[in-house]
Amino acid sequence: MHEISIANGILSRAVDAANEHGADRIDALTIEIGRATHVNPEQVVFCLEAIADSTPAAEATIRTETIQPRAECDCGWEGTPESLDLPGGFAPNIRCPDCGQRADLVRGRECRLASIEVPDASPEDKPPARRADEVRGSPS
Amino acid sequence: MAGLHDDHGARVGLPDLRERLLGPLRAHRFGHGEFEATGGSDAEADVLAAIRERAGEVHERLVHENEVFAVEFVGSTGGGKTKLIEELLERAPADERVGAVVGDVAGEDDATRLREYGIPVENINTGKECHLDPDGVDSALSAFDLEALDTLYVENVGNMVCPADFPLGTSLRVLVVSTTEGGDVVGKHPLLVQAADAAVVNKIDLAEAVGTDLDRVRGDIHEVAPEIPVFETNAKAGTGVDDLAAFLMARRENYTGHTHQ
Repeated sequence: MHEISIANGILSRAVDAANEHGADRIDALTIEIGRATHVNPEQVVFCLEAIADSTPAAEATIRTETIQPRAECDCGWEGTPESLDLPGGFAPNIRCPDCGQRADLVRGRECRLASIEVPDASPEDKPPARRADEVRGSPS
Repeated sequence: MAGLHDDHGARVGLPDLRERLLGPLRAHRFGHGEFEATGGSDAEADVLAAIRERAGEVHERLVHENEVFAVEFVGSTGGGKTKLIEELLERAPADERVGAVVGDVAGEDDATRLREYGIPVENINTGKECHLDPDGVDSALSAFDLEALDTLYVENVGNMVCPADFPLGTSLRVLVVSTTEGGDVVGKHPLLVQAADAAVVNKIDLAEAVGTDLDRVRGDIHEVAPEIPVFETNAKAGTGVDDLAAFLMARRENYTGHTHQ
């Protein structure tokens, strides 16, 4: 069970990014979770909601997207690997469909903060630096 | 901060358009190294890529800076990881300087066993965590004189799930499964099998007694993780360990002054 530490990593990245944008509130964030990982999306959301209290992400809508694996082979093949036929479970078939050698997964092993949505700095589109000053004391 | 696009966070495209049309909302999308799953820049937004990057730093310290050949053993509790390491220590050439890092949620049992061989051993009690991580290994390395080590064995916590997402930065990861875990053990834990560089099927002497079909285990490994070498052992009697030791020795020689990735 490492979703809590993963949620922590995601949250700190989101708060850093919000600060960079001079935003003191995160309205929504999206997390991409590779299918070839053991990260459980529901648990990540649960953990994030639990630890986001009293941070700029306290009220954020949290979305997750499953990223299908993608593989590349030395022979030049690249594409979406088939799934191994494992009842109830998932693993990509990493044998290259062209040459039969083992291909490398290049996607499907991620757990990344894909985007955050934050309120506009102001209707007059003030420079973010001014807002950054105001939120400097906020928890991160 | 790499991955940020402009001061306002909006990339040209849909988010930008939405911002202009809808007003008080900005969306920031993080940069995407689409074909660089282990690339540096992804670690900015990707928690697992950040762990792989940390593992890369451990690898740099161990393998490149100190020329230590490091082998991780991963697999279930009771599969025979510690016993295999003991058997390898029995076979180690007199001049091979070996150390070990062992991880367990609690206890010093494995560390105590390996210390019997007169080698430096660092015990990591993970407490709440079900696996070792690169940071824990990195801290443990401070207890060693790395320049005086040829080989480091790293025994992970008994677990066939989480370690798949947590590489440690060793030169080689050896999966240990045993026949007593059932003939379906490989298919139940495919991602960890795919994350291994070699596999050991241990307790082959018990296969018949526990009704495990060794052909199935072999076939599943071949199917799930093509091309990884498979060793069949009865570590308790020392059967098959010579082949594993020879394989590791050959890989260690490849690592001497190696340049890769």
